[in-house]
Parts: sequence; structure tokens; C-alpha cells
Amino acid sequence: MNQKKVTPLYEVISPWAEADPVPPRGLTVERPTDLNGKTIGLFHIWKRASKPILEVMERELKKRFPAARFSWYTESRMNTPEIESDNIAKYEAWLKGLDTVLFAYGD
Amino acid sequence: MYDAISAEERGIPAVAIISDGFLEDARSASSSRAMPGVRYVPTTVPPESTLKDVIEAGVLAAVDDILKAAVAPLTAPERSPQPKPTEKITRIVFKGDLDEVNRFYYGRGWTDGFPIIPPTEEKVAEMLTGTDLPPDTLLGKLIPRLGKVTVEKIAVNAVMAGALPTYMPVLIAATRLLLNSEMGFLGFCTFGVSTGSWSPFWVINGPIRNEINLNSSSGTLSPGNIANAAIGRAMGLIIKNIGGIRKGIEDMGVMGNPMKYTMVMAENEEASPWEPLHTEYGLKKGDNSVMISFPQSYIQHYPPSSDPEGIMRSVVNNIVPGMVYTVVFPPVHAKTLASLGWTKQDIKDYICKNARMDANRQRSMISRDTSESNENKENSVPIIRDPRTLRILVAGGPGAFIAHAIGGGPTQGKTEIGKIELPSGWDKLVKKYRNIVPNYVRY
Repeated sequence: MNQKKVTPLYEVISPWAEADPVPPRGLTVERPTDLNGKTIGLFHIWKRASKPILEVMERELKKRFPAARFSWYTESRMNTPEIESDNIAKYEAWLKGLDTVLFAYGD
Repeated sequence: MYDAISAEERGIPAVAIISDGFLEDARSASSSRAMPGVRYVPTTVPPESTLKDVIEAGVLAAVDDILKAAVAPLTAPERSPQPKPTEKITRIVFKGDLDEVNRFYYGRGWTDGFPIIPPTEEKVAEMLTGTDLPPDTLLGKLIPRLGKVTVEKIAVNAVMAGALPTYMPVLIAATRLLLNSEMGFLGFCTFGVSTGSWSPFWVINGPIRNEINLNSSSGTLSPGNIANAAIGRAMGLIIKNIGGIRKGIEDMGVMGNPMKYTMVMAENEEASPWEPLHTEYGLKKGDNSVMISFPQSYIQHYPPSSDPEGIMRSVVNNIVPGMVYTVVFPPVHAKTLASLGWTKQDIKDYICKNARMDANRQRSMISRDTSESNENKENSVPIIRDPRTLRILVAGGPGAFIAHAIGGGPTQGKTEIGKIELPSGWDKLVKKYRNIVPNYVRY
């Protein structure tokens, strides 16, 4: 007598965790329409290409916007967001003097 | 990305210049901080590049896009981004045979590439006998995805990994360590997603080692024991499926690391002449504990002689720079050292004093400016300056090889060790699973 082989079926539970939806925040600050005469922040992290990238940007921006001013900032602790470092007050004070800011280098 | 977001939050328009290999990572980062519209522009410059022509060419190719990002008026989607559709997590996600379940989970990106045990209601319920905590107990939210860590999700991932219910107390304590970890360079988030491919390394102490048959002797880190294999594997799945760290998306490890499959070691306390590791951190010898670090590399070496000078010279000669360093002595060397009066602290002090490197070599490794000159080329500097970053433990079987796990770990003073709490009826549970051990046929 032939017996039909029964393959067991498994009802399985998801391992993927739930996460509370976070309402996205929009950008609220208007961009400058012209960088001439503006103060441009240049923030670099420890990764080796970061500062040279911004040096090229500074040079190119100076060519295009001769009246632009530049202000540099170096992250104070490797791979730590500056607002989570001990230098948050210094960072916030630096930001206040800027019209826009470039960050390098994201990886 | 996080810095650019912090600038926007403080009213300063920002542009993040990013590596084009990290676009997915940038999306995840901006999304996890709930600011998907933050502007970023990719370039082709490798993050570690020191080649001026490469940097020049990469930036010049992107400069117009960067400028546009700096001055272009905000768009409607940037001002008012649409919420992501709420992710609907169905509890029962699939029904099928073994192959079908495995292909489904693999296709969802929920596995580590090895086949999994189907996490059915029955298997998960059995796993939950390893804890007194109700399944819906929320232990926290695991970064970077902020996935909700419930006891049931730990159990589901544990089943998938092939764990036994007696491992649940370890898994819960280990997950709490991840939850306690700080954000930032020395925290779990960075180590989990870093290009450096750092791997969680779990060291377990206390009576539970023997109760759940963790191997602390010959081949403690080799395959062949369910506890060593499944605990590390389960933690990898928890990091992936609860923390949301997926290879090539959030985990940008360049080379990857085979230690990410599992790296679980129990200290061979019975063969050690010294106090167990966990007692150095304020726990009692009878307590059970799990400790975390994030080594990047693992080496083994063979001392030229078995006297203290030979043993310690070999250790010192094989010290390479790392943030947290674990030196694992086999019992034979530990006993020799201890018999001649060496304590763990003596070993740490000796390493800090004698493991040195050329000052110029160290500077060139950490220098941000590769043109930095070295005026003290003859000087040497300690490789490890703070003995608190050194861990000494005893594991392994007969034989003379010494192991180093080299890498990172939580900032000193942050939680790096957790006490394992056992459920009621522990002895009965242990009895039920204790005989699940390999019995090798002799030939």
C-alpha cells in the first residue's frame, strides 16, 4: 500500500521588529539665493578626505563668490555627532554665525 | 548626516557631501532622524582618500550639484515630506514547508545566509520557557532603526538561530548590553555599521557556562557546540532584524567579518588560576555574566618558550593598535605565570609598559594630515596607554597558542558587562536540555 508522504508545513512568526512611525520633519529654513557676501561654514570630520574636499570647495566657492566668507570647524570626537559631544555649546555658537554650511564627509 | 540635520534643526541650511558608495546609508540615516529632506550630494571620492588628484576630480565633478543644493529653493516635498507608509508587521508572516520558509526568510533579508529553524508558535513558546518575562515585555528600542525589542522578538530570532531555551537568559542580558550602548564612535551603533567590520564578541562567565554546555576548552571559538554557535548567531539576527543593521545598507563593513556569524567564548574558569573576568567588574564569582566588545581582528601566536619571559615577549610582540584588547591565555601559560606570582594586573601593566611602537608609525596611522613631519622618529610610544582597555582571560584547551581579539568596545565606564538573570525553575530547565551534547564516535 502506497503511503503519501506528508510534508510538514510551518506557520512562522516574523522576526522583524515593529518600530513606531516617526513623523517626518520638513526643512524650514530658506536657502540663500546667492552666496556672495555670505558666511559659509565648512565642517569636516576625521576621515582623511574630509578636509581636502572642503579645501577644494572653498577654493571653487571663492572663485565664484569672491565676497563670500568662510568659517572652519573640526569635529571634536571621532564619529560622534557634534551635538552629542562635549563641545555642543561651541558648535551651536559657531553655527549661529553662518548663512549656510557644508559637511564633509559622509560615509 | 547627523551633523547636517543638527544644523537644519538650529536654523542653518546645510548640505552634506557624501561618498557615492553610501547613498543607502545616507537615506537610512536621514530617515532614522526623521528628516528625509536633508540635502546631500554624492561624490566619487573614497572617504579615506589622500590622493589629491582623486579628491580634486571628484569634488570638481560634483561642485555644481553641491552649489545647487546650497541655494536651490525648498521644494514642497522638502518642506512637507510625506510620512512613510506605516510598516505593517504581521505576526504570522508565512506558511510553507521547510524549504519554502527558508527561501521566504532569506528573500526578506532576515537570515545570515544559513538555513534557519522555522519560528513557529510552538517553537517560540518553548523558547519563552527560558525566561519569566512576558513575551510582550518591551526592553527598549534598538538603534539605528529603533526597532522594539520585545522578549518575543528575541525568542523568534533565537529559534531561527537554533538556540535552546536555556540560552534565553544570556540573549536577554546580551541584548540589554546593546540597548545600553551609547551612540557615537565607541557605541554599538557605530561598530555595527562601520566600514571597519567590527564584530560583537561575547564572553560569558559564571556557572551558566556549564549549565548550558558552553565550550570554554579546546576550540572554544570553533564550530561544534550549539551554545557557542547559536548564541552569537542569535545576537547577529537580533542586531539585523530588531536593530535594522543590514549588510551593504546600514552595515557598510568593507571586507566584512566571519566573526559576525558568531563569536562566543566562555572563560575556562575551572582551569584558570586567576579570578574570573566578571569579578573584576564588581560581580561575584557565582554570578553569571555576559561581556561585549567589538574586535575587528583575531590572531593567535606561539611563544618561543614557556617561561614567563617567552610568554610575555610573545604577547607584547603581537600587540597591535586597538581600542579594546582581549588577551586569551591557554591554561598552561596562565598557570605558569600565576605560579611565579603574575597577576592579571601585572600582565596588563607589563603590556602597557613594554608593547611599544615607533612614534612615527603611530602618528602616520592616526594623522589627519599625511604631510605631518616627524621630528621624534627615534621615540617609541606605548601601543596601549590605558590598562583598563585590556582584558585578560583564560580559555581554550591543552596547547600553547595565545589569542588576541583586537578591536573596539564601549567607552571605559560605559556598560560593557551585564549580569545574567535566571528564570524561576532554572534547574528543571537545565535538566531538560543539559544532555544535548555531541557524542563523538571514536575511530
